[in-house]
Amino acid sequence: MIKAIIIDDERNSRDIIALMLGKYCPEITIADMASDCADGIEKIKAHRPELVFLDLEMPDGTGFDVLAGTLPDIPFEAVFVTAFEKKFLHVIRFSDVELILKPIDKESLLQAVALITERINTGGSKDRYRVLLENFNNSKPVAWQLLIPAINGDQHTIKIPAIEYLEIKGDNCLFMLNSGELITAAQSFRYYADLFASLQFYQINNNQMIQLSNISRLDGPSGKVLLKSGTTLDISEKRQRDLLHKMTHPH
Amino acid sequence: MKRIILMLLLYCYTAGSFANVDHTPVDTLIADTAFAPANLDLRPFIYVLTADQQHLTPEQAAAMPFTRQENIFHNNPKNNGRVNNCWLRLTIKNQSNKSLSCHLFSGWHDYMYWYSQSPGDKPRQLMQTGLMLDDGGVERWAHYAFAVQVPAGGIRTFYLHVVNKSYNEGPLMPALFSTEAYSAFRDYQLNGFRKEAVVIQVLLGMLLVFFSISVINYIQLPDKSYIYFAVYILGLILFFALRLEDKPYQLSFFHRWPMLKYYWDIPGLLFCFYLMYLLFGNAFLNLTERYPFMERAFTWVAAIVGGLIILCLYFIRIGQYQMPTIIYSYVYFVTLVPLLAVFVALARRSRHHPLVRFFLYGSVCLYLACLGSFLMHVRPLGLLSALGELAAPTILLIGGVLLQAMFFLAGLSYRNKLVHLERTRTQELLIKQLNKNKELQRKLNEQLEELVKEQTTEILRKKQELEEQRKKQLETEYDKKLTEIELKAIRAQINPHFIFNCLNSIQLFVMQRDYEYAQKYLSDFSYLIRKTLDFSRRNFISLADEITYLNTYLGLEKMRFENRMEYEIVVDPVIATAELEIPAMLLQPYVENAVKHGMTNPQQPTGKLSIYFNQVASDMLECVIADNGIGIARSKSLRMLPKHHQSSGMEISQNRAELLNKMYNTEIHIEIIDRSSEDESSSGTIVKILIPQL
Repeated sequence: MIKAIIIDDERNSRDIIALMLGKYCPEITIADMASDCADGIEKIKAHRPELVFLDLEMPDGTGFDVLAGTLPDIPFEAVFVTAFEKKFLHVIRFSDVELILKPIDKESLLQAVALITERINTGGSKDRYRVLLENFNNSKPVAWQLLIPAINGDQHTIKIPAIEYLEIKGDNCLFMLNSGELITAAQSFRYYADLFASLQFYQINNNQMIQLSNISRLDGPSGKVLLKSGTTLDISEKRQRDLLHKMTHPH
Repeated sequence: MKRIILMLLLYCYTAGSFANVDHTPVDTLIADTAFAPANLDLRPFIYVLTADQQHLTPEQAAAMPFTRQENIFHNNPKNNGRVNNCWLRLTIKNQSNKSLSCHLFSGWHDYMYWYSQSPGDKPRQLMQTGLMLDDGGVERWAHYAFAVQVPAGGIRTFYLHVVNKSYNEGPLMPALFSTEAYSAFRDYQLNGFRKEAVVIQVLLGMLLVFFSISVINYIQLPDKSYIYFAVYILGLILFFALRLEDKPYQLSFFHRWPMLKYYWDIPGLLFCFYLMYLLFGNAFLNLTERYPFMERAFTWVAAIVGGLIILCLYFIRIGQYQMPTIIYSYVYFVTLVPLLAVFVALARRSRHHPLVRFFLYGSVCLYLACLGSFLMHVRPLGLLSALGELAAPTILLIGGVLLQAMFFLAGLSYRNKLVHLERTRTQELLIKQLNKNKELQRKLNEQLEELVKEQTTEILRKKQELEEQRKKQLETEYDKKLTEIELKAIRAQINPHFIFNCLNSIQLFVMQRDYEYAQKYLSDFSYLIRKTLDFSRRNFISLADEITYLNTYLGLEKMRFENRMEYEIVVDPVIATAELEIPAMLLQPYVENAVKHGMTNPQQPTGKLSIYFNQVASDMLECVIADNGIGIARSKSLRMLPKHHQSSGMEISQNRAELLNKMYNTEIHIEIIDRSSEDESSSGTIVKILIPQL
């Protein structure tokens, strides 16, 4: 059995999480529920749960405050439940922390619970929460860290500038780092491509996305992008203009 | 001189009995005891030696033969046509027993020497005198009565050497006077000459006055004609002052230089009546401009006269006294007709130039006076002698001179007046011109001002056009921005959180099988979304719509928060909610904020939200959104989110209000008050939004 706590300022939200967990995830017992941060931290400290369903925004703070107030003394896994994720999407995704959107659909809930259950059972690292809080407190995306769950079960925490480019590799994504290291992430290339789209990255073709700072030269006629490392990648003619525009107008 | 002549004539007539009766020549005048001559005509007793050019000593002369020449004697001035150098001899025998003491007088001549000879003795000079010689004071006139003294019973021979270098000779009529008789004669003469002297002195005084006037005038108005006039008057003054030298027994000024009167006799007349007259006329009439020909003639004649004056002076210097007179006669007669012609020419023009009239009158006066004087001389003296007396200042001539001087002076004054008038006119003209200039300047200024005004208007118009263009540009820009903000507003104002939480709630009701509640929730939610989509496309909505919208929204929120909040919307009954318009979606963010913060107050179990719509002025709607939360200040301090994560709903609303203000030139005013800042015991936030009615 996995002991869980639900923290949400809306009663309806708490009720529906509890209702759904009771219905679809019998292995999870709900130890308690809290309606704000302070209450949540108190109850986490009291119950020491293994899993916490956290609302992002509450009257007296955010889910991050709850994490900051309890971790790393109390090791638990967290699942964010929010109605609107946009604001903190990168922070959460970069640290590979689970996120369920309201209104909650059964599949996402089951998938998240399954993943968490596995992590709890394997005694996985709680490093992602440190990364989460560090990213949260940092306003500059360049300084953010990315926690990549590798296909082999490893976790790699890298800084964003360390990435040279990423490439599709079957259902997974291959990270080419400036150090020459290669990481095959468990997530798909599309997942990262969406995540990086708003940052200083550009998808030069269907399979590859490069970090702009690594571009050495754009060779139009031959349709090549030359990276600082010497790597040459293909780029379609239409995307060359796009890329030029993005490079000359960074924001 | 005329008077002298007349007097002599008178004497001649009274004493004529002798002369006429006894014409037999007598070698020796016998004076007996009763001899007391009174103007005794000595002609029968006098033998004459005409020496002509010879220079004889008295001894030589005595040795020469004397003859009787009655023709050399004359009672009137006479032009001899030569130098008269003659010796007169008179022998007197005193038969009485007392010595004879008489005076011989024979007129006034240039050089006179008086000798007395005792029998067997050499002639001894007793006296020398003469108009050219004697430089004594007034007493010199006594020298002309030569002493005739013969001791009792003695015989004396007297020689009178007379030299008249100038051809014009005064009366030469020897007469003998006893001492008493001479004294009477002298008194008579003195009286007669005194009158003449007085006339001349008065004339001198007047001329001096004229001279002073012209000098003063010249100082005031430096004009050449004044100088010429002054010099002319000065010349006349000198001339007449020298004429006093000829007046026997009278005081005179220049007796120390007896030759001066000869030097300034004819030359003075030439100088005054011709040279200065011409120069004066030239300058006075401004002939250069008016009659250039006359001016040339005047200048030439003046130059010639100047030359003649020098010539005259030279002749006098070498003793040719007759030459100046001749020259003057010629000049006089030669210029008579031309002058007349000049007068006629001037007279024809005098109508146009008043100055000419003055000049003309003056000139004609002198001209006629001269002519009259001359003619008056012709009859008694004969033509030749009259010519010699041309320069003689008769009373007529003096009158003419005076008249001329007065006319000239008057002319000068008139000229002064003319100059003054002209100056005044010039000044007036100048003033007029200045005024005209001023007028012109004023007009120019006006034109300029008008131009400037026009251009200013043009500039203003262009500026306005530009401003309008800019306004349009700004408007389009605002429109663009507004669209952007509105797009943002849809996302921000209806908080996605709210939407999904609503959906979450509906999901819960469905799961709990509370279908009625779910139905109600869903329809309210749908209404809200529809209205949001609708309003976000419009800038203004009616207050009624806004109130309904807020009611629905707050109802949904209330359901979400399990009735942990209460709300009220109070509308001032005077407000016509359906007609009054307010900017769409302006209030919602503040209401949402109030809901959010109203729930966070640990002291207040129930959040209370009040919305008031008040008509604070005829065209001003006030909207007050008040909650009883922790207040904006504490809420901000409690905010734990890093700055870059903060929400911006209210900020967007504020921006929108500013945009609306700019676009519609209105004054939407938003004020956010923390209640605790006014009253420590209460808490919460009040948002006051003032919306002017367009």
